[in-house]
Amino acid sequence: MESPELTSSSRGKKRGRTAHSRAGAHTIAPPLEPGAPSDSELMKGIQEGDADALSQLYDRYNGILKALILRVIHNEAEADDLLQEIFMEIWNQAKNFSEQKGKPLGWMVTLARRRAIDGLRKKQAYARAEERLQNETEQQPDAWVHNATEEEIVLGDTRVLIRKVISSLPPAQQQAIDLAFFRGMSQREIAAKTNTPLGTVKTRLELGLKKIYDGLKDLKDEL
Amino acid sequence: MNFEQFQNQSRLYVIGALEAEELEEFEQAREKFGKKAEDFISKCYALHEAFALSLRPAKSSDAIKDRLMAMVKAKKQT
Repeated sequence: MESPELTSSSRGKKRGRTAHSRAGAHTIAPPLEPGAPSDSELMKGIQEGDADALSQLYDRYNGILKALILRVIHNEAEADDLLQEIFMEIWNQAKNFSEQKGKPLGWMVTLARRRAIDGLRKKQAYARAEERLQNETEQQPDAWVHNATEEEIVLGDTRVLIRKVISSLPPAQQQAIDLAFFRGMSQREIAAKTNTPLGTVKTRLELGLKKIYDGLKDLKDEL
Repeated sequence: MNFEQFQNQSRLYVIGALEAEELEEFEQAREKFGKKAEDFISKCYALHEAFALSLRPAKSSDAIKDRLMAMVKAKKQT
């Protein structure tokens, strides 16, 4: 889509040429192709009302954000609707984004997760979603996977490395983190669901998150 | 609360897993540690990225992007 905000000098090469600026201290986002605009540059474009910047950001992250939404709500059609709403919110709320508070991907993931969990709670669909998750896991673990593009292969490397970090945790820690992050459950809710003392849940979350956090520091060097 | 305890709480905070009674104590510590606390909390948001990036990207319908860009265009014109 043509954007009136892109000047003739920038039109051919899109925004900026500083992909390296994305590899900040607080991000583990996968590397970009040489010459691609950084996430920060795209966010700046969106803040200036550049629809093409939003289009590029969508192309870059719609797959990741949809996977996150699906992980929470387990419904393809609802996930698509929510994805559209989330990118519209990114467009509308871009002025509130500040690089000082974090990186664009972190901001978008936070926003998407909150919206997905809100959606799940509003519909009171925990039981239904769990049932679907169970069926999907048993019957078709990769049901939403489509043919990999080149970009996804790069993403795939990052994913493999991150999953390695996460899968190194004891299953009980993984479960506690999964319930907290993807289901938005409180410690008490996790304790009730897993029939585990509250203190144990807290310890599992603290230890698990610390291990992942420390693992990500090494991962940044590898990326 | 010492800073190491604050770090543990921060990681719970960013994924929304602090209980209400813990939140109050966390906010007090956050104020006490000032910029050091804010910097650490910012770093903790990398956990969000990590959990999202650990998932296999999902395909969304082309119509979603078309609708999104049409909405953006309409909004810009108003």
